[in-house]
Amino acid sequence: MIHCEKVTKSYPMGHGRKQVLSELDLDIRPGEHIGFLGRNGAGKTTLIKLIGGVELPTSGKVRRKMRVSWPLGFSGAFQGSLTGYDNARFIARIYGLEYRDIRDFVEDFTELGAQLKMPVKTYSSGMRARLAFALSIAIEFDCYLIDEVIMVGDANFHKKCHHELFDKRGDRALVLASHSVELIREFCDRAMVLHEGKGTIYSDVNEALELYARL
Amino acid sequence: MASLAAGWRIQRRVIGALLIRELVTRFGRENIGFLWMMVEPLLFAGLVGILWRFMKGPEEHGISVFAFIATGYIPLTLFRNAVGRSIRVFSVNGSLMYHRQIKILDFIFVRVLIEVVGASMAYLFIAVLLGAFGEFPMPADLGSLLAGWFLYCLFTFSLCLLLAPVSEMSDVLEKLVPVITYIMIPFSGTFNMVTWLTPQAQTAVLYSPFVNAMELMRYGVFGDRVGAIWYVSVPIYASMLCMLVGLVLCRRIRRELVVE
Repeated sequence: MIHCEKVTKSYPMGHGRKQVLSELDLDIRPGEHIGFLGRNGAGKTTLIKLIGGVELPTSGKVRRKMRVSWPLGFSGAFQGSLTGYDNARFIARIYGLEYRDIRDFVEDFTELGAQLKMPVKTYSSGMRARLAFALSIAIEFDCYLIDEVIMVGDANFHKKCHHELFDKRGDRALVLASHSVELIREFCDRAMVLHEGKGTIYSDVNEALELYARL
Repeated sequence: MASLAAGWRIQRRVIGALLIRELVTRFGRENIGFLWMMVEPLLFAGLVGILWRFMKGPEEHGISVFAFIATGYIPLTLFRNAVGRSIRVFSVNGSLMYHRQIKILDFIFVRVLIEVVGASMAYLFIAVLLGAFGEFPMPADLGSLLAGWFLYCLFTFSLCLLLAPVSEMSDVLEKLVPVITYIMIPFSGTFNMVTWLTPQAQTAVLYSPFVNAMELMRYGVFGDRVGAIWYVSVPIYASMLCMLVGLVLCRRIRRELVVE
């Protein structure tokens, strides 16, 4: 379970503060797939960062009672000046895993070959997405936080993601922030629409998508 | 207790991983690799020592100028490098916040630790080298030397713990640090013993935690020949105060930290 209780987040802006999320409540149950919908700047990424513990809420609480992945997105989680292999080594060390297992998985999943010996800052966004995805999938979490990242990359990458995430790990919880209506409709049990700092959760995904289309 | 032990295990793992990551990023795996970390303090101590040797002659107050500069300059570079490395350390390492087991105190600890290890290696290296030429004495009291070095490192770490969060709150500090660390030199005990100063100046510099630690170290190296004066309480109390305020500020800054 993940409990978000009256989660509020604001950032300093000029002389005042910009309220991004206000008093948001959300429970994520084991195995459940939740989609986050909202326009650009509605707070999807912020909420995912709070759930992942990357940033802390201004007020309110996030309680994690299962192993939650770090947010998988375009940025963060990597050291750009280190190679793909070094990043894999670092992840293996801090999560207490065998480097060889992670390396084999990453090589197999990313198909990046010799590029893994290059610093991550030289990667294209698609290559970065592959590496980010491979590293977090290599660690068995109970809940994966995914911020748009599956949307980049080619068809082959999409197929692999689907296979690893939805087929092999369909029993894990999943939080998916996306603008892709098809993705949310196909894979989510519930959806939350974020608008003006408030989050409304819908058990009927189609209802949420309709509302989102009208925003 | 079980969770405390588990937490300790995780922190040890994280600190080990951060150490390797930092060493690889900063020094790479080419040529001498991580041994580079002692090169800068060595060069400083060596070159400044040569400079002073020509300016002041072989001995000052009955002590080898070379040995005196080495014992002073290596701790000074530790302090300057550690402070420099702590400025904006949280923003620079934002990507690490993606992993919840990494705490922001780990960053500061690891960065200061690398400087401490580098400086210690440089100290040992130069002492053995100068010792071979008869320019460095056998330490008169190794315990005092180590205790002084420990206090010096402790206060440096505590200061970094305080400066790291303050540098995130205000951009001004970042710009002031180079000049402040330079102005600090007379209060670092690098170039003189306390007893060489006028009585008024003695009272003033003995408020500096660095001076007290340095005097203790120099007593450890040169023994009674230097007439060292120190109060162990000064660096200890100063460290406790900096650490307390620093920890509170670190906690507050973590809450406000914006990660890309």
